[in-house]
Amino acid sequence: MIHVNNVSKVYRTSTVETLALNSINLEVPKGEFLSIMGPSGCGKSTLLNIIGLLDEPSDGVVKIDDQAIADYNSKRMSSFRNERLGFIFQSFHLINDLSVIDNVELPLLYRKVSAKERRRLAEEALLQVGLKNRMRHFPSQLSGGQKQRVAIARAIVGRPDILLADEPTGNLDSVMGNEIMDILLRLNQEEGTTIVMVTHDESMARKTHRLVRLFDGSQVQ
Amino acid sequence: MFLNYLKLAIKVLGRRKFFTFISLFGISFTLMILMIVTAFLDTQIGKNAPLSNSDELVFSDMIIMKLMVPDTTNIVDSTLMDGVMRYDTTYDVGERQSSYSSSSFGFWMLDQHLRDIGPQENFSLYSSGHSFDLFLNNNKLTLFGIYTDAPYWEIFDFQFIEGKPYSAQSVENQEQVVVMTDKAAEKYFGRSRDIVGESIELGKKEYKIIGLIKPSLTAESFVHSDLYFPYTNIDPRYLEDGKMQGGFNSVFQVENPKQREALIDAIAFFGDNFNMPNPERYNDLTLIGKTFFTSYAYQLVTFYDDPKKSAWIALVILSGLLFLFLLLPTLNLININVSRIMERSSEIGVRKAFGASQGQILTQFIFENIILTFLGGVIGLILAVALQRVINASQLLGDLEMQFNYRVFLYAVLICLVFGIISGFIPARRMSKLHVVNALKQA
Repeated sequence: MIHVNNVSKVYRTSTVETLALNSINLEVPKGEFLSIMGPSGCGKSTLLNIIGLLDEPSDGVVKIDDQAIADYNSKRMSSFRNERLGFIFQSFHLINDLSVIDNVELPLLYRKVSAKERRRLAEEALLQVGLKNRMRHFPSQLSGGQKQRVAIARAIVGRPDILLADEPTGNLDSVMGNEIMDILLRLNQEEGTTIVMVTHDESMARKTHRLVRLFDGSQVQ
Repeated sequence: MFLNYLKLAIKVLGRRKFFTFISLFGISFTLMILMIVTAFLDTQIGKNAPLSNSDELVFSDMIIMKLMVPDTTNIVDSTLMDGVMRYDTTYDVGERQSSYSSSSFGFWMLDQHLRDIGPQENFSLYSSGHSFDLFLNNNKLTLFGIYTDAPYWEIFDFQFIEGKPYSAQSVENQEQVVVMTDKAAEKYFGRSRDIVGESIELGKKEYKIIGLIKPSLTAESFVHSDLYFPYTNIDPRYLEDGKMQGGFNSVFQVENPKQREALIDAIAFFGDNFNMPNPERYNDLTLIGKTFFTSYAYQLVTFYDDPKKSAWIALVILSGLLFLFLLLPTLNLININVSRIMERSSEIGVRKAFGASQGQILTQFIFENIILTFLGGVIGLILAVALQRVINASQLLGDLEMQFNYRVFLYAVLICLVFGIISGFIPARRMSKLHVVNALKQA
């Protein structure tokens, strides 16, 4: 499903050139739950951003369903992200001025979906993460774990087939972290969602199908 | 989608109250001034009664006479050739202006010559303003009057409160009748109703009031007056035959605004080809036709032989002033907007990650800015109406009474929209181009 072929990423400034990723090759079949581990600064998030089309590789190709996404123009890329990908971030990135339900509806705003249908789908997504009773609340009224569950609801509301999670449990204690992990595992098992997760936590990574380790931008396992 | 944007816009405005206050203060003050200027211009040159058909009118109110005399200029060129200075003399035979006179038209000139020259469907002549001093209970009251023909009332659609205008027959019969404004009636009779049938003594003549009208909004002298008389009541010296200059002006009405140019050309052509009765005194005649706007602009910037240039320059000056006036608050708002939007880089990152295109982000932020501007616009409108009342009540602009109508309101909406788009576009564009990863990192 996801093919990462020889992907490298170099950050250049006028004085320094940093190799963030060095010829990464990765295949993620449909329905797999893959975790990426490695020390800070090893390029995990960069790789995830490249897979999620949020960043471009300096070299190499990312293909999803055999289509080279780099060939897409920015509008097509936006709509591809909207329909096929869902993102979960370590620091949630919820919009504080919007209620929980409005936050969850966000990806559907960029599709041709009626307001009524948006509301229905968002409520359904919140039900899946067990937060339907908090839909009128604002992010500031929620705990960290609840915020991340809202972020998951937002990521899955558009029924994407790929979820990209960047340290989803990184800001949470172990109890909340486990809750989040359970939701992700359930999504993977029950809905068949392909998940690529970056994590620092070995115990979380062990729960997934496969583990890829990076070190200094290179794949070591 | 826009409901979502609206919710967010309102939330954001409420969150940063100080920023919102500063923005709204600047916007509402700027828009208030713009609305007052718009109301002023609409009152002066808008299509309000009695100038509802101002775009069909051509005014000719100035006759320029010159004495041109032959003038020869000698130009001597010198060249050094083979060590010898050689001279070449050129004679340029031209003309020079020896004397010049410009004034309003004589009645005879308009009545006998200009009346039928172009494609107009209606023509009216009217005098310049005359003042009448009256004494009421030991108080001096000055009223202004103009003398007109009957078509004057067809061309200018005054609103009659009571009575009617005088007919061509009344003019011909030299009837001593007058049309009065309700404002003048209030001053003279102490009331502004049931005036028709009353008499008023002016310049040792007694006139019967046959019509009561609302005064013109604009202060333009061809419509703004207190009293209107049939021209046959004017001092007969004004009506003498053979007088080219003195005391009268004219207005032509065409069926289609496009015919105005042809009429203006016809007026100029007539002037150029007119046989001057005393060529030893004046041998050159220039007549100028002006559209309503040109006529207005001509008073602001006067180029004697070229009213079009006046209109053009007035337009450039007005636009330039408007631009300068808008520039500062716009730059200020752009600045405030940039810092406001910068705070929301996380939101921009998330929206982009979940599929918002650059255009959609741009639309969102411009929309939010338009909401802010409209909010400022509403406050500005309330302030402008209040200010307009103060200005009218204090008679700061003399007889001119500014008013707000649906046109001014539409202009106000348009001004808000333009202001909102301009001040929102630059920051929104800048932020919409933000790279997702950077936007999320900045948060």
